Order: sequence, then C-alpha cells, then structure tokens
Amino acid sequence: MDTYTAGPLLELNKAVPSFEESGLPPRPMSLRLMAGDCFVVEERDPQRATMFADMCSGLVPLDAGQVSFMGLDWTEMKDRQLNALRGRIGRIARRPSWPGFVPMHLAIMLQQLHHTTRTQDDLLAEAARLAASFGLPGLPTQAPDRMSDADLCRAGCVRAFLGRPHLLLLEDPLEGGPQELANPFLEALTEARDRGAGIIWLVRNAAVWQRYRTGVTATWRLADDGLVAVRMG
Amino acid sequence: MTEKPETPQAELSSTEDMQDPNDPILAGRPGVSHGRFDSLLGWSCNRLGWIGWLTRRQARFLLIMLGASWGVIYESLRAHSWRRTVRYEFISTMNDIIRGGFVATLFAGVLTGVAAVSQVIYWLGLTGLATMTGSILINVVVREIAPILVGMLLLGRNGMLSTTELGLLTIGGEVRSMQAVGVDPFLLLVMPRTLAFTVAGFTLGILFSFASLVTGYVMSRLTGVISSPVWTFLDSVVTAMSGMDYAIIPLKFITVGFVVGLGGCLTGLTATRHDTLRSLLPRGFSRGMLIVMVVSVLFSLDL
Repeated sequence: MDTYTAGPLLELNKAVPSFEESGLPPRPMSLRLMAGDCFVVEERDPQRATMFADMCSGLVPLDAGQVSFMGLDWTEMKDRQLNALRGRIGRIARRPSWPGFVPMHLAIMLQQLHHTTRTQDDLLAEAARLAASFGLPGLPTQAPDRMSDADLCRAGCVRAFLGRPHLLLLEDPLEGGPQELANPFLEALTEARDRGAGIIWLVRNAAVWQRYRTGVTATWRLADDGLVAVRMG
Repeated sequence: MTEKPETPQAELSSTEDMQDPNDPILAGRPGVSHGRFDSLLGWSCNRLGWIGWLTRRQARFLLIMLGASWGVIYESLRAHSWRRTVRYEFISTMNDIIRGGFVATLFAGVLTGVAAVSQVIYWLGLTGLATMTGSILINVVVREIAPILVGMLLLGRNGMLSTTELGLLTIGGEVRSMQAVGVDPFLLLVMPRTLAFTVAGFTLGILFSFASLVTGYVMSRLTGVISSPVWTFLDSVVTAMSGMDYAIIPLKFITVGFVVGLGGCLTGLTATRHDTLRSLLPRGFSRGMLIVMVVSVLFSLDL
C-alpha cells in the first residue's frame, strides 16, 4: 500500500447528512483525517455510529457540504469509481455483514478477491496470519451462522485489516468482544497507522480507548448539534 | 352568556362540526344526507387510489426488470465485470441449478413423455394422421409445454431460493455492508445468477425435451402403437422442425431461464425492511409464474 500524502485522506467539509436517510443530526460536520491519524469518535447509539461510518464511505446522501476520500468527492464519482475507492476501506460494522452464500474464509477475503488481482494463495496466507494474531485457531471455513459471536468478532477484525486498507472505519470490536482481543487489535491498529492508514474508531464510551490514549490523534463526539471536538486533557 | 339552541334542528347543526360525517349512526339522520354522498365519494377515491397504487407498484417492477435486463446484458459483455468473485458465483449457481435440477427435470420429462407424447402418437396413429406426429410434438411439447414446465422447475427449485437468500441479505443489512466496501450486489449476485439461470434454462430445457420424446417413443413401442426404430422416430421429429424452430426453441429456453433468474434476484433485492418471508415468497412465486407465462405467450403470439 502506498501512503497517501497528497492531502487529507478523509475530509468532511461542512457535510450535512440527510436526516431522513440516516437519522444523523442534520448539522454541518467538518473533519480532516490525515494518513497515519487515529480519530476516536464517541457515539452511544450503535445505529448512528454505523450511519456515520456510512457517511464517511459516501453512502449517505448529503443536504450540503462534501465528503472526500483521497481527494475525491464521493458525489462526483460514478459507480465503478465509487466501488473501486470503497474497496480501499476496511470496516468493522455492527450491523450483520456476513453473507451466508459463501463459506467464512471466502467471506473474509471477498473484498480483496473482488477488488484486487492478488493471488488467492497470497490472500490466504495473509488472512491466516491475521487470524492467528487475532486468536483464531486458523482461517474458519464453516458457514457464518455456525460461528460464535466472539469468533465472528475476531473474523471481522481479520477482514477489516486484510489487504492493508488506506482507511479503517472501525465500530468498536472491543466492547462486547472477547477480552483477549484488545492487545492484538491495538497492535494491528498501530501497525496500520505506521504504514500510513487513517483510522476512525467509533466507540460508545471513553473507557474503551483509554489504554490507547497516547496513540489517539483527536477525539470527537457525535452529538445532536453535530460533530464536536473533545479535549483530551 | 351563551344562547341555548331553541330547536332540535339547531342543536344538531351546532354539534355537526364535531362529529364524524362517516359515522354510520349519523348517516341515518335526516340532516346529514350529504355525508352519505361524501362517504361514497371518499370510498370511491380510496379504491381508485388503491388501484393506482397497485398499478404503479406493478409497473415499477416491470421497469426495474427492463432496466436490469439491459444491465445484465451490458455488464456481461464487459471483460472487467468478470472478476473472480463473479465467476465463482456464476459457476457455483450454475452447478447448483443444473446438478440439483437434473433428476427433477428428467423425471418431469419422463412423465410428460408418458402422459402427452405417447398419447399424441397413439391418437394420431388411430386417426390416420401419423405423418403429423413430428410436427405436433415439436409445436406442442417442445415449443409450448417444455419451456413452461422447465420455467416452473427453475422457479420452484432455485428462483425462490435466490429470492429468499437475497431478500434476507437485503433485510438483514448484509447487502448494505457489501456496498460499504465497494462490492456491488448487482455485479456480484444479480448478473452471475441470472446468467447461470440462462445457461441452466437451455440445458434443462433440451434435457426435458429429449427425455419426453424418448419416453413417448418407448411407451408407444412397448404398447405396439409404432414399430419403427427410434432413429426413424427422431428423424421424423427433426424433419418436422422448420428453420425458425432451431432459433425459437433455444431462445425460448434461454429467455425463460433469464427472466426467472432475474425476477427472483430482483424480488429479493428490492425487499424493504417491512418485508418478511411471509410477504416475500408469495410475491416472488406469483411474479415468477407470471413472467414465465408472459414469455411463453409472447413467443407464441409473434411466431
């Protein structure tokens, strides 16, 4: 992955999300995430957190303003470009995201298989390495509905970090996830930042990210009056 | 000080504003005869509105079908669309349909051979019209019955499965999650599945036709209705086919497979969060049946 250095990796420029489509507060939101940055965004409502991540991915229509990723405005791109660009985003989502029509190992690699020409062996090797680091005994091959919640959470981390994405939109896997996931997750976070990925970590409360406090670039809160910067103190 | 109404009529008019004009009790009173007319008008408007809503709803799906048909054809001709994931989905769906439907199609073909083909051979032979056997079998069994029965088998076995699968993915939010990482559900699911149905429609249609004709011949031979060898019988069927039949019959199988696959996928993909399997499955089945019948009738009308 080449580090993007031409400007902010993700920029929300007075973006006003459509309330009808997203339920997000229809207030101007501004944010500039540079390569290697890690922003924590606090939001208690998981649905609104998912919608905020969707907004960063250009999935939520805007009433005003713009959202750009790697210098490209989401609204000015055609479908093919949009999808190619979204292929560079790694996500951990709270909503169901495991398609039941493929086995788990293919579901983990689906995004990479779809967007890249990397060999399957290469992807399998990287996925297996990540699976081991997140505490899975190997790359799971059964159907998603046969896996425990904890293992699905680990598999979600493997999928998000696989393929060295430029941007990571992470809806906190630590809250409600297995306790032993914290260390490998924070290590993967640091590793991703070191190679130039930008990270938005959506958490429900401040307690979750305190261990990583020194690594966090900025903290925000998604309130009814928009995106508010929080002093880290 | 408020004046009390002096007459019962005045009392009625003063309270009229607060009462529902559609109230069936009030409707019987002499002073509110307008209400009955209004309620009839309102009822008519509601019904008209409902018919309009239903028409728009049906037309919407037709328009989606037309647009998506073009989308599938257009995307399938672009080499860039055939990514690994799309190829995987195409091959796995095609295997599911053809392998899974092989025995059922063969069985349906055998039953049709026993019930229809052998009867046609018997009655035409009895009435001295044996020379028309090939022509009638081609026009009735292969051109008309086979596409409908194969379409129904495709719909029941795999079309409904696609509707359910894609409907649950849409309702559950997995489709949105795919979009969030740039995986287009149309490209990944709709296009390869529709094309797999298309190939399977042709394959199973030919299999069905062959099984029914051979079974019809075997039954007729066993009962002594015909004594010619199987090659002569098949030759009479092939000779009865016009040049147009060679194009129309495969085209009909292909079209039936295409529309059943596309209809099933789109019904699932257009599900809303208000939908459940109870609403999705009957809708998918009725749409699928309608599509198969419409395709069959359209081909019969023109040619």
